[in-house]
Order: sequence, then structure tokens, then C-alpha cells
Amino acid sequence: MDAHSLSINSDSRIVMVKAYAQEHIYKHPWERVTSASWRKFADPENKRTLSHILEVDTLNHKLDPLSGKLYTTRALTIHAPGPWFVRKIIGQDICHCVESTVVDAQSKSMQLTTRNVSLQKFIEVEEKIRYDPHPDHPTEWTVCRQETSIRIKPLSALASMAEKVEQRCAERFMQNSVKGREVMERICKYLEAESSGMSL
Amino acid sequence: MGVGKRDEKKKSSTSTSPCALLRSAYHNCFNRWYSEKFVKGQWDKEECASEWKKYRDCLSEHLDDKHLSRFLEAEAAFGSVFQEGRETPVKNTAK
Repeated sequence: MDAHSLSINSDSRIVMVKAYAQEHIYKHPWERVTSASWRKFADPENKRTLSHILEVDTLNHKLDPLSGKLYTTRALTIHAPGPWFVRKIIGQDICHCVESTVVDAQSKSMQLTTRNVSLQKFIEVEEKIRYDPHPDHPTEWTVCRQETSIRIKPLSALASMAEKVEQRCAERFMQNSVKGREVMERICKYLEAESSGMSL
Repeated sequence: MGVGKRDEKKKSSTSTSPCALLRSAYHNCFNRWYSEKFVKGQWDKEECASEWKKYRDCLSEHLDDKHLSRFLEAEAAFGSVFQEGRETPVKNTAK
């Protein structure tokens, strides 16, 4: 499901935002799925699938020992090549993003928010991912909800081709989501095998 | 500091980060703590303090001042999810 929606930005102009949402069910418990999420970018085999992720560094982390909440901030460097006409305007293929994560171990929820830090003159991308136990199978399955919004800055040099660029971005994000899910499923299976090996 | 190793012969990634080994050590430690303790109810204390410190010191030294401060500003501007009393992020040591 995707939509163009209208929203009011901070200086009260109406802007177009391309947004889409996806939901996926992992048939693995929340603990395993969220563990897989942390390993997603680092696993060497999976790096080939997610080759657009160049670097991931942890900038900051904090555990609140009373509430059981873990806060983490990471820096992601992403290879984001566009078509030649976009590259001429933007001038680079690399995009830096910040990912902020909160994991609540008590209520079992994990939320990640990723935004671009570079290229903000041209584009604003925000992706939110949530992992929660599945309401019908809370100890066995996990629901992943992902929302992505893409906005080309109205007065930027890209504005005249905004719709085309947004469309391209959305396609790229969809492809990357599919790859991301593949990687997650692979890691979940690995962790499952590992844990059943251990319980023998 | 002599920390940046160059045995990156195994080309599993295009990573050229001088802190890559320290980062791996920290991430491996974190992943173990997360799966074996944190999600199983032991959220009262963190581990991996020494791995984190070594990695963080390396980042302070090697991560471009420009990049680092930009990331940290961005994080602050986005309305950081951290509440007050947050841990001091990587120190921006003048280089």
C-alpha cells in the first residue's frame, strides 16, 4: 500500500510526501527476530546481499536498567546511486543516515527510525520499522511493520523531476526491503538452529 | 595509536574503516549480551564496556570530525530518543 499524501511542513507549506507501508510476519519469536535485526548488516555472508550498506558504526548507546529500555544510535553509510541526471545534480553516490533504536525488553517492542543526514538539501527520507510479538502467536511469531516516507525538497534542483526520483527511490527501497527480509529470515534460521543445538 | 590493523585480506566487505576490527569485537560482544541476557530478562546492567571503550576511542580518533559532528548534530536535531542523563557520545577530540 502506498500513497501520495499531503502534509503541512514546518513553515506551513503543503508538500507532497510519497509514503508506503509494509507488514511482514516472521515465524520466529520476538527475541530471535530482534537479535537478527542487530546482526543484519554485520554478517559477512549477508553483506553481499545488502551490498548497498557500506559502513555501520554505533555512535552511542544507553541502557535504562529500571525500565529495561535500550537506546542506540548508529551511523549508516549507504551507496545510493541514482540515474546519471540525478548524479549530475547531487554530485555523489553516498548517503549518510542516522538510525535511532529503542528496544523495550519489558513490553517486547523494538522500533528503529532511520533518516538521511546528508543530501538534506534535496531529499528527506524517513524509515520506521517496528517489531512486536504477533497478537495471535505472541511467543512464536513476530510482526514487522515498516513505514517509509520520501520527500523531495520543493525548491531543490531535483524538484522538477521529483515524482520520477521519488518513484525510483521507492522502487529501490522496496527492493532493499525484500533483500533485508531475506537476510533476516536467514539469520533467524541460523539462530534457531544454534539454539536448538544448545538445548540438547 | 597503532590500532588500525591492515590484515583486511579477507575481502568480505568494502569496509575501509580503521576501526573495523574493534567494531566487530564490540558488535559480537553486544550481540551475545543482547540475545543471551537482555531479551531474557537480564536488563539491569550492560556488558562489553571495555570493547565499547576501545571502539569508541578509535572512532573519536578516526571518524572525520566533520562527519562525526554532523551525525551528532543530526541526532540532536531529530529529537533524540535519549532522555536526559544520556551517556556522553563519542568525544569530538580536536585533531
